[in-house]
Amino acid sequence: MNRSLVILLGALALGAMIFAGSYSASKRVCLLATSADDLSWLRTEFHLSDADMARVRQLHEGYKPKCAEICMRIAAKKAEVQAALADGTNVTATAQQKLIELGELRGQCQAQMLQHFIAVSQAMPPEQGRRYLAEMKRLTLGFHEVIEQSMTPAAGHEHHQP
Amino acid sequence: MNKENLNPGDTRLGALLRAARPSPSLPPRFQEGVWRRIEEAEAPAKSADDVTWLDALAVLVLRPRFAFATVSALVLAGVLFGTYNGTQVARQEAQAHYLAVVAPDSLR
Repeated sequence: MNRSLVILLGALALGAMIFAGSYSASKRVCLLATSADDLSWLRTEFHLSDADMARVRQLHEGYKPKCAEICMRIAAKKAEVQAALADGTNVTATAQQKLIELGELRGQCQAQMLQHFIAVSQAMPPEQGRRYLAEMKRLTLGFHEVIEQSMTPAAGHEHHQP
Repeated sequence: MNKENLNPGDTRLGALLRAARPSPSLPPRFQEGVWRRIEEAEAPAKSADDVTWLDALAVLVLRPRFAFATVSALVLAGVLFGTYNGTQVARQEAQAHYLAVVAPDSLR
């Protein structure tokens, strides 16, 4: 093979290795420098001061046990629904009742969660609070909206009326 | 001294001298090697037009100043891209971590 070509290919390979090495090293350093704190995202994303963070942390610590408690109730209700649906091929009255109860629990959990988001947004500077609330609504409720919009007639999904 | 003995065309004397000084045997492919060296010596030196862009690039790459500048640029680019990408990934991970704590998966 041509000597010049060998030199150029070698230089190219060496350059690629140097770039890849410095890229992965700096990326790793960035990831390692990230705090594992639950609220680190709030501090950086919404530029919160220590005083803001102290208020938000207090609200967060108060909310966590309530959230865990209702999550356990939802998990238990889901197990009941699974058990009620496991037997037959029809949705029995019992299964229907369990599904309604599961929906109610999810609604309670959602309302509690939104209440917490509002409280946290009020603990932040006004502009950041508005942005936080909008972002949390988008991240937590937006998922359902996407599904529901995809089920509307405009999206090509039609429920035929009798 | 006899005048006849100084004649270079004396065939008898020539034959006698050759017989007294036998020539050594030549190495294998001696003649081929000689011709190759003659051709190489007669060939014109590589002109500037014969140097390809590949050769020119190889010469440039081997220059210490160019190599140092290239390595520095690559390291800098790697650090910048890595830091940018790492920051983005860290932000997404922190957001996902916060959401996992405050908004259970069953609601999303």
